[in-house]
Amino acid sequence: MAQLGQPLSDYQRPHQVHFSPYDFNGGTVLAIAGENYALIATDTRLSQGFSIHSRESPKTYSLSENTVLGCCGFHGDVLTLTKTLGARLQIFEKEHNKPMPTPSVAAMLSTILYYRRFFPYYTHNLVAGLDEEGKGCVYSFDPVGSYEREVYRAKGSASAMLQPLLDNQIGGKNQQGYVVQPMPLDRCIAVVKDVFTSAAERDIYTGDNILISVITKDGLKSEKFPLRKD
Amino acid sequence: MFLTRSEYDRGVNTFSPEGRLFQVEYAIEAIKLGSTAIGIQTSEGVVLAVEKRVTSPLIEAASIEKIMEVDKHIACAMSGLIADSKTLIDKARVEAQNHWFTYNEKMNIESVTQAVSNLALQFGDDDPDPGAMSRPFGVALLFAGVDEKGPRLFHMDPSGTFIQYDGKAIGSGSEGAQQALQEVYHKSMTLKEACKAALTILKQVMEEKLNSTNVEMCTVTQKNLFRLFTKEELENIIKDI
Repeated sequence: MAQLGQPLSDYQRPHQVHFSPYDFNGGTVLAIAGENYALIATDTRLSQGFSIHSRESPKTYSLSENTVLGCCGFHGDVLTLTKTLGARLQIFEKEHNKPMPTPSVAAMLSTILYYRRFFPYYTHNLVAGLDEEGKGCVYSFDPVGSYEREVYRAKGSASAMLQPLLDNQIGGKNQQGYVVQPMPLDRCIAVVKDVFTSAAERDIYTGDNILISVITKDGLKSEKFPLRKD
Repeated sequence: MFLTRSEYDRGVNTFSPEGRLFQVEYAIEAIKLGSTAIGIQTSEGVVLAVEKRVTSPLIEAASIEKIMEVDKHIACAMSGLIADSKTLIDKARVEAQNHWFTYNEKMNIESVTQAVSNLALQFGDDDPDPGAMSRPFGVALLFAGVDEKGPRLFHMDPSGTFIQYDGKAIGSGSEGAQQALQEVYHKSMTLKEACKAALTILKQVMEEKLNSTNVEMCTVTQKNLFRLFTKEELENIIKDI
């Protein structure tokens, strides 16, 4: 208890203000590559701490006819990154008279991220689409541009909950005598709905809805599926 | 032409009242003093053949290089002021590597040609930006390569204009060679036939007698990409013509 007539102790003490240019706005993205399709799903919640900014904010961005980006983390960086990518894709199309192939989008994103090596975009990224042979492809990235082509990958807030389920259901990991085979699209969508529903039970940054986008040679199709709203 | 050029051929970026840029036109004329170069595009790949002017027996013929590799899948042949081509080829190589670095794919032949043609137009009298030229380049280029659209051949002149060709000749013998190309070219030509045709036409238009030291030839194919012919390989073709 401060004595009367004495200055308040916390009023006196100098305190350091930290530079904090980042925030975390939650959100989860998940992508799976099939034989002739690629699937990418996202929840639609945008939050900050215990408050929800939006229940209608999907974290997937369609970049071209057959490429979709999943991007979550700090929403400010997400906005800038997606804007940059959109511009670069348009320039490429005008310069080279063709839409940028999905593997090239992935390579370019890697360089864009690495150019910010020492002040990175705080974004978790996935690129899903079709490769030059028409096969589904998924590329996952770390925030500074290391990337790899994968069959399935979850990124963002609930990724640690989704990934082990995918390892089991799609990768067939640690199961003796299990033969991994390409998954039909309807089964794949069912798995995605299940894993997101499970994650929404435990993760406060994942919820409201899922937006599932499927890329095939016929174009992009999307469907919505409800999640917990609390 | 003598009446009209008067003062308007001094500045490189001054149009004459008839709307001509004389320095650019003169640069195109400079190509016609250069040695002949021929390119033929077939469905299998593209062939480039050039004449080397070995004006003295003391010249080391192998040191005259008029066909250059831009990337593994792109070759370039030149005619005119060969020294000018150095800047252009450097640009082409850098662009091709940058494209691979950023997009992890081979750059299209047309895109490389476009990039080089942008540089070809960056000339000007006054305070040029570093690397830019004060006059138009005095060299014409033939870009040959294979990309996702198949084998392709492009011609670019000092005005920066570039056009795709099935067969194109540049340099001093270009008129006769182009005529001969039109006669001999057909869509179903094999690469082997094209190589032979290129050397046959060179032989017709060259002043010196054609042999394996005063010509250079390369092919670019989907399978073998850029490949320069060795002296022996050239001799094998030459003995049949």
